[in-house]
Amino acid sequence: MLRIESLSITLGEFSVRDASLEIRDNEYFIILGPTGAGKTVLLETIAGIHIPESGRIYLNDREITSIGPRLRNIGMVYQDYMLFPHLTVQQNIAFGLQQRKIPKDEQHSMVAEICTMLEISHLLRRYPGSLSGGEQQRVALARALILKPEVLLLDEPLSALDSRTRERMRSELSRVRKITGTTIIQITHHFDDVYAIADRIAIMREGRIVQVGDTSDVFLHPSDTFVAEFLGIGNMIRGNASSKGSIARITPRTGPEFFAVSPVSGEVVATLHAEDVIVSEAPFASSARNSLFGTVSEIIPFGNTVRVILDVGFPLMALLTRESCADLHLAQGEKVYATFKATAVHVIPVNGD
Amino acid sequence: MKRFSLVLTYLVLLTISAILVGLVLYSPLPVLIASVSSPEIRFAILLSLLTSMASTGICIAIAVPVAYALARYQFLGKRIATLALTLPLTLPPLVAGIALLLFFGTTPWGKALDAAGFAVIFTPLGIIVAEVFVNIPYMIRILRSAFSTVNPRYENVAKTLGCTDTGAFFHVTLPMARSGLLAGTVITWSKAMGEFGAVLLVAGATTMRTETLPIALYLNISTGDLSLAVAAATILIMISLATLCAVEYFDRGVHVF
Repeated sequence: MLRIESLSITLGEFSVRDASLEIRDNEYFIILGPTGAGKTVLLETIAGIHIPESGRIYLNDREITSIGPRLRNIGMVYQDYMLFPHLTVQQNIAFGLQQRKIPKDEQHSMVAEICTMLEISHLLRRYPGSLSGGEQQRVALARALILKPEVLLLDEPLSALDSRTRERMRSELSRVRKITGTTIIQITHHFDDVYAIADRIAIMREGRIVQVGDTSDVFLHPSDTFVAEFLGIGNMIRGNASSKGSIARITPRTGPEFFAVSPVSGEVVATLHAEDVIVSEAPFASSARNSLFGTVSEIIPFGNTVRVILDVGFPLMALLTRESCADLHLAQGEKVYATFKATAVHVIPVNGD
Repeated sequence: MKRFSLVLTYLVLLTISAILVGLVLYSPLPVLIASVSSPEIRFAILLSLLTSMASTGICIAIAVPVAYALARYQFLGKRIATLALTLPLTLPPLVAGIALLLFFGTTPWGKALDAAGFAVIFTPLGIIVAEVFVNIPYMIRILRSAFSTVNPRYENVAKTLGCTDTGAFFHVTLPMARSGLLAGTVITWSKAMGEFGAVLLVAGATTMRTETLPIALYLNISTGDLSLAVAAATILIMISLATLCAVEYFDRGVHVF
């Protein structure tokens, strides 16, 4: 378990203010925040690159606040991978083993093992400059993972990749987590990462952690307008998709099935903007393919808008103006219909297995 | 415009080549060989090589940490330090020479050094001191630019992989700044081989004692021994040519002048 207690540090224009977090063993934890929120500084401080001005960091109840990075057993992969350009892939991956003075033949077998897992054995003799983004990413992961770190820190690991590679790497990351059992902390501003892999997330703004929680909790119950606006999307529904042509039928764990425009089949997370959900007292004819029946479970005023949480078998959030909420006489326990278009549903594959 | 600039380019090229080739071809080859192998020129070659290698080594040893500090850290007086460290670059070597002469000849520190056995004035040691003083700004500048092109995150990663601060520098940053270091070394060395003004003032021009190649050229031209002067000059031209080729080869993205 990694525990951070009221950590503060300023580094040029970036800062972390009084941040406290608890990351459990074997957890995939994602820190979300806009650019300049201090995410990278936080990550580097966890890695031991910077000594915080105040606050403490514990790894498994051992205080590591002022211990050097090399003695922490925390791995780090940067956005641009930072592969050493003067070393081959083999030498890059073995770099940490070399520092620990592990015998050469042992190094070779360890490198071979991790390369098989990440499918990069054919790259060993090449130099980083000649690799594609996805390949560099795998090499950087291998270089960090070969030391069997207790915690692996990932700084925007997927943002430099094209969308196809990104999807593959995302499933790769959750596979790596499953195989190695490493606790992973990732920072990102890409929501798809969160839906597909995070167990819990923290939202960071201007150096402060503004909310921490289970992914679906944070999305359904953002603690303030910043988080709500930053997250944007209100709904994420886990389920199973079976696709026929371009239409996918999505069966949630609980509740009724609905449709999305997507060629994806299998385990998925479906996302739906709260403002795309139309609430009505009676069903009505329209081009929208999905109309679900449910009850109003919660009404939360939010500035000029109202967030209505419906129970249609699974929780569904709708964003209404105050006026339309009043016109509909919505109240807790009321029976309503929720209507949304199949095109409004975004389907993200979850490749956990 | 195109025609004019091309014609002028060729004209300048021809002039420079003619002047230099004229110098090299001034003595017939047997005379040149005899001059180069004369005891005086052989001494000058040896002294130049030894002093220039020593001063280049000292320059590297000092400039690596200094350039690293300038590239990586923020500290009090950084701007002034940068300026002061770079000033000798634009200073005429004669001025550097007289400043060194006064420092080592008249100040208590200089006299203390002299008493401790490190006589600088009019000695071969003075040659090294003068060369280091004049050349170190080049080394610092080249290395600073080389280090600052290496993203500090490489070192961060190296540290998470088990390196100490020093280890990260030697395993990652220094190898990545290799071409800058090589270019800087070659330039510093060749400038040391050709240094005249500062060496003349600090070490004097004593035949067969503080007589480097440029000093040999100067002494022999003063006494009218043209063939020895030409021999010294020819060697210096060869060194310049080799340096230029080496720098062109190593110098990728490292801007020196």
